[in-house]
Amino acid sequence: MPVGDAPVGDTSVAAMLVVRGVSHRFTDHDVIHDVSLTLSSGEIVAIVGPSGCGKTTLLRACAGLVSPSHGTIERHATKIGFVFQEPALLAWRRVEANARLLVDGEHVNGDTDGDGDVIVEQLLAVSGLAEHRHKWPHELSGGMKMRLSLVRTLAAKPQLVLLDEPFGALDQLTRHHLHDEFLRLHAQQRFTALMVTHAIDEAVYLADRVVVMSPAPGRIIAEFEVAQHVPHSPASRESSRRYDPSFAALCGRIAARLGDHS
Amino acid sequence: MKRVVPPLIVFVVIIAGWYALAYSLDNNFASVDGSPLIVPPPHMLFDGMNAPTWQRITSALAISAITAIVGLLISLVVGVSLGVVMSFSRALESALWPWLIALQVTPIIVLTPIIVRIIGASFGARVVVTVLISFFPIASNTLFGMRGVPRALHDIFTLARASRWRRLTQLQLPAASPAIFAGLRVSAGLAVIGAIVGDFFFTRGTPGLGRLVVFFFQDTRSGPMFVTALVAIFVGLGFFVTVSLLRRLLVSPWDHN
Repeated sequence: MPVGDAPVGDTSVAAMLVVRGVSHRFTDHDVIHDVSLTLSSGEIVAIVGPSGCGKTTLLRACAGLVSPSHGTIERHATKIGFVFQEPALLAWRRVEANARLLVDGEHVNGDTDGDGDVIVEQLLAVSGLAEHRHKWPHELSGGMKMRLSLVRTLAAKPQLVLLDEPFGALDQLTRHHLHDEFLRLHAQQRFTALMVTHAIDEAVYLADRVVVMSPAPGRIIAEFEVAQHVPHSPASRESSRRYDPSFAALCGRIAARLGDHS
Repeated sequence: MKRVVPPLIVFVVIIAGWYALAYSLDNNFASVDGSPLIVPPPHMLFDGMNAPTWQRITSALAISAITAIVGLLISLVVGVSLGVVMSFSRALESALWPWLIALQVTPIIVLTPIIVRIIGASFGARVVVTVLISFFPIASNTLFGMRGVPRALHDIFTLARASRWRRLTQLQLPAASPAIFAGLRVSAGLAVIGAIVGDFFFTRGTPGLGRLVVFFFQDTRSGPMFVTALVAIFVGLGFFVTVSLLRRLLVSPWDHN
């Protein structure tokens, strides 16, 4: 039975992440089944799917935190960043020290070029956290905590960033702000991103490509190149495209695809 | 006001009860000079005190307080180390845990004569008794605190290829520190008890607060006996306040759970 659309073309040069025929089994049942996926350098790919379809497991496997039961995962990145649904901040470090967490580690390992401080400062400024640098995490709002989580991850200059429903716990307005911030940071750093979400509009707004997964055991059942469906995106990254009819139309098609299998 | 008045009312009740007890006891006052024999009323508390008596209480205080402090510090090191070691390996935890429980439920005081027989009636023996009585809450709280670190935080350190040392010092111990302080507070009380009660079994050398109370009791000097007991209470209070202050300084600013 053919499963999903295995990406075609030369994946050797620009590929940042290559997932080949990955299945993963928990004790008695498959959570993901025969997933293949390739991310080119600089690309943003979103995975949407019903809850329990193994999205998080796939993401953890891509990060190397889980070894899949079958299949292979190639990572052409030396540094991998992971953003969780919860901000996962260190409560005992102030904002600035949290932002520096992964940069400080580089100093210890001695393989940094010393620009970590500059990046942290820049990211704190861009994310509006600079004036809150001496606060404790518990003094921040939910949106600010998530910003800090992003800043901490990106300060280490990862080539590959994996995001597990990073904006899921935020209110709509804060989410939209953070979406644009995320795209600005992506434009600066050009990292490759694989994001799991259950919000279709978020996937369409942020990603170059949206991958739809079936209920458990999760398989890839469809892929959509966003640029083919929503005109002036994603290159222009205008926030107004949220209100373009083509945007809603693509969301509708993806929702229909998801609905077929739920 | 609401924080001061209710405890103050209880204080007045305690003093009143103290007076009631002192004057309701039969034969509480010597027929010769009216000095208290069993329970001195509060205003006569210091009647039997003189310079040599203060001297004895001060040296007893020194010995008990230093025993408790050294014992508690060693308990902190031993307890945290045991918690860390057990959190590193389920096998070690299952090997050690039953014996720690066994030690915890043993009334260590009954072991004191044996410890004194083995080590000798020395300062070291006092400290050993104190440590045995007080280290367990620190060990168990360290273990539970370290086990409670969320998986996401561990993942971050794993992806950063953090060394075990870095994971321990930058993640697990700070995350466990509120739990460690909760254990330390219980252990501080136990260390004071261990230092003072353990003292009963040391029949030679300068007496600590525990044995001094017995001496004054045998001499029916109820005033100095009560003063000594009060000093012991203040030692316990001092430990409690010190640990609370340290917690407020180190943990409270960021820990809001």
